[in-house]
Amino acid sequence: MARAIHEPCHRGSTVAGIVSAAGATQCSMRAGTDCASAGQRAAPPGRKGRRNAGLAQRLRKMEWRKIAAPLETDWTCPFCALLCDGFALEGGADALVLRGSDCPRARAGLAAHARPTVPQAWIDGTAVPAEDAVAEAARRLARWRQPLFGGLGTDMAGARSLFRLASMTGAICDHADGEAMMKGLRALQDRGQFHTTLAEVHARADLLVCVGTQAIAHYPEFFRRCGLDRADSPCRLLVFLGVPPPAVLPPVPTLQIAGSGDLLADLRQLAALVAAAPCRDADPELAGLAARLRESRYAVLVWEAAMLPAHGALGLELLHRVVATLNSSTRAAAFGLGGSDGAATVQQVFAWLSGLPLRTRFGPAGQEHEPVRFAGPRLLAGHAVDGLLWVWSVDPERLPPATDLPRIVLGPPGMGPRLLQAGAARDCVFLPVATPGLNAAGHLFRADGVVVPLVAARDDGLPTVADVVARLVQREAAAA
Amino acid sequence: MTTRRLRGGRVFDPVNAIDGEVRDVVMRDGRIVAIDPRDAVDEEVDASGCIVLAGGIDLHSHIGGGKVNLARLLMPQEHGRRRTPAGDDPLALADCSHCTPGTLATGYRYAEMGYTSVFEPAMAASNARHAHMEMGDVPILDHGAYVMLGNDELFLELLSKGCEPQRLRDYVGWVVHATKALGVKVVNPAGISAFKFNQRKLDVDELHAHWQVSPRQVIGALARAVHELGLAHPLHIHASNLGVAGNIASTLATMEALEGLPGHLTHVQFHSYGTEGPRKFSSAALQLAEALDAHPNCTIDIGQVLFGQTVTASGDTMRQHANAGLASPRKWIGADIECDAGCGVVPFRYREQSYVNALQWCIGLELFLQVRDPWRVVLTTDHPNGAPFTSYPHLMRLLMDKPFRDEQLARLHPDVAAGSALRHMTRELSLYEIAIMTRAAPARLLGLHDRGHLGTGAAADVAVYREQGDAEAMFTRAAWLYKDSEPVVRDGRIVAAPVGATHFAEPVFDAGVAHFLDAYGDRRLGVHKRHAVIGHDELCACCNGGRLLPSACQARSL
Repeated sequence: MARAIHEPCHRGSTVAGIVSAAGATQCSMRAGTDCASAGQRAAPPGRKGRRNAGLAQRLRKMEWRKIAAPLETDWTCPFCALLCDGFALEGGADALVLRGSDCPRARAGLAAHARPTVPQAWIDGTAVPAEDAVAEAARRLARWRQPLFGGLGTDMAGARSLFRLASMTGAICDHADGEAMMKGLRALQDRGQFHTTLAEVHARADLLVCVGTQAIAHYPEFFRRCGLDRADSPCRLLVFLGVPPPAVLPPVPTLQIAGSGDLLADLRQLAALVAAAPCRDADPELAGLAARLRESRYAVLVWEAAMLPAHGALGLELLHRVVATLNSSTRAAAFGLGGSDGAATVQQVFAWLSGLPLRTRFGPAGQEHEPVRFAGPRLLAGHAVDGLLWVWSVDPERLPPATDLPRIVLGPPGMGPRLLQAGAARDCVFLPVATPGLNAAGHLFRADGVVVPLVAARDDGLPTVADVVARLVQREAAAA
Repeated sequence: MTTRRLRGGRVFDPVNAIDGEVRDVVMRDGRIVAIDPRDAVDEEVDASGCIVLAGGIDLHSHIGGGKVNLARLLMPQEHGRRRTPAGDDPLALADCSHCTPGTLATGYRYAEMGYTSVFEPAMAASNARHAHMEMGDVPILDHGAYVMLGNDELFLELLSKGCEPQRLRDYVGWVVHATKALGVKVVNPAGISAFKFNQRKLDVDELHAHWQVSPRQVIGALARAVHELGLAHPLHIHASNLGVAGNIASTLATMEALEGLPGHLTHVQFHSYGTEGPRKFSSAALQLAEALDAHPNCTIDIGQVLFGQTVTASGDTMRQHANAGLASPRKWIGADIECDAGCGVVPFRYREQSYVNALQWCIGLELFLQVRDPWRVVLTTDHPNGAPFTSYPHLMRLLMDKPFRDEQLARLHPDVAAGSALRHMTRELSLYEIAIMTRAAPARLLGLHDRGHLGTGAAADVAVYREQGDAEAMFTRAAWLYKDSEPVVRDGRIVAAPVGATHFAEPVFDAGVAHFLDAYGDRRLGVHKRHAVIGHDELCACCNGGRLLPSACQARSL
């Protein structure tokens, strides 16, 4: 059943639950900005003293920490591919608190880094100086005949140096979320696409259709970034196709289309209906949606890589066909949610350096791109590789996949103890690295392809992925 | 401080009016120096039997930025056809794609042909960082970019509200400053934006449905701003109606819209079509050449079409959408970008037996041969749109060798082969003219006073080729290429791959415009205003640590 929700939620309390102090009529974009600048202008009384006390304590506890960085009030969040900016961070090294948004993904990201671990490199579980670990990692890497570079949770600079190392060692490269990302890539390679970006959605989307995704379940700030909480938003209808709407909705009319439970079948029907092609036993709700799409001035079809079903590339091709059909008479575009944790960034950097995207091997016959055969998990499971270099600078909690193959792991300091706890120390070298947007500056690609600069919220004196990989490159080059 | 002397080569240096004289060229510390011929040098290079030119300069080649990378993602099959074995070249981590090379291959292939500077003509302001990152990863070559304006909603809104020219000028200056651009380009003036409002065509005097401004107004306002800011490069114009039969009318109207101010019309081959003949598609090359005579304020580059597989990558969403049905293979990418720009990536296979493609090939060559003043014509294929840049040597031979040209013409669609004006054109470009079109003229058009020539004090970017009858073979492999006086190519092979430098302009403008931009807020800028300006340190990080080469601008009045 179609369910039209014409009662917008309370204006002051928005998708992400930002509560505007100034009252119910204020939009959250403003509220977010206000909060951010309030953090900058007037800290509540008493906080400064606490901060100083905390700082002294931290400095006593952690000698490795070079400088106590000042509070960063204008922070860009690196923890999903929306790369939201304009928020504030409060607190210090051991408890960074987000102001201006209660995005659970940002909070989880910060919480994972809340109590920094003293960075410790180790070889097979034995603590060693960082340079010894680099030397040993380079020695092991040189022995592997077919390395896999996995994880790839890093920024532009990290991707640049990883590309060089991959070329030298003949590695195959795949991101931790490569499986989801490849669905979008394969649809693009086979059919192409017409896509749009956040500012365009914000300015002109009058119909937003979330296809098989609630969008804000994994990208909590998405609707706010689309401006749906603003009084001047052009959006007249928000549709959820094949999924129930999320519990908290932005203040625009919402429509749920349950569909058949088979997203591919629904998209096939929608593609036919939009093209006004014969469609037997059409779902009346889908027919209604097709009519609305044709009538809209600028419809945006939102999809999420991680939420696509098996053979999702086929579904995406249908989605792109719907967009293409609409564009013959009105305007429409797709918006893909995905590419978090460096996925979009590494994909872009590898594509420009080599001409080919991830899941490419730098082999003796030149470069081979195999979006199916070179899937990281598949290569590991089949022992088609003999060593794993795992790079994950995003958070300390996501560990490399369990494998009995030798590993070199680059991760935040907190990942080291977790690896030991998980019993993953055997045949493993661990090298601590900084997290872009947290304790290192950097650049990441947003889901829609825009490059966003990141600032360091604190300085932990840690090397970046680019630094560590550059050392490995030097050693590989010297050995060669 | 190594001093190198290239001895005994025939030098072609049009800036200094040297036309094939045998003379020595001496390099030291990155510069051309004058020393006594008897003075000892650290390295003597025997360049006898060679021609010596300044390093090549390509002022319009899509080498970096979002749409170029989308083209790479779209065309993975391009890589399967030729594989270079690893170890072939110790420096080459590069790929072997023909029309969508990676940045490494781009740098290596250009250098092998003796080029030392290449400029990305279509940088979206909202994603300038991406363009700088890719260009920074193009080894060897110096680079820079023109930022696209005239389809950003802010400019159109200002123009529609009758904003005074000084404020428009300050806004343009601020965008150049913020994005670290060398010049300003307009693509299908107001048309990319109009497509977002579902307009499918926009003639020079047609109004944008929403902003109620015409391309003529956009051209006039931008040309004035660029001129007043004192940017060396004239407004770079991708005119309205790309690829449309009969578009010579809008191209001529665009030249008129400049009202005498400098303008560079790019890839004019795609904008010089008439409607004569049985197929209502004809060459208007002569009309364009005549219009250039009448408009001394205008310069052009060609955007020559050559046959084979390529991919067209353009900011012109409106025209790329219209042409998407011709895609080969049948797939394409389009995008609306940040209330600022757009892009369309359409694979194309230009075929000798296609009447239209064959005529496009002729029109480009006719333009090269009919425009009398080589200083106003720059050799381009609009890489990769007309053809990949690697076909430049082939193009040079077509221009220099009438029998070779006739041989190629005979292979084309019979109606074109029989009816083309090209058959009767006997002109063969000289090495001197080629040196103008590939070195001296682009350097002058970009205001790069120390590039594109071999005079004392010039940057020591020097290309040496073994002289031979076959110009294609000659220009395919430089015998030596020196970048800032260091060898980077020897016998057509890369021997060093330094990071190139970034050229950008530093116009003077009223900084108060930034406050005024604040009023527009995030909604216009897409990213936080804190990130709106790329500072020198960030530019350096994006550009991979290459040198920054700012050029000062002298403000001008009308």
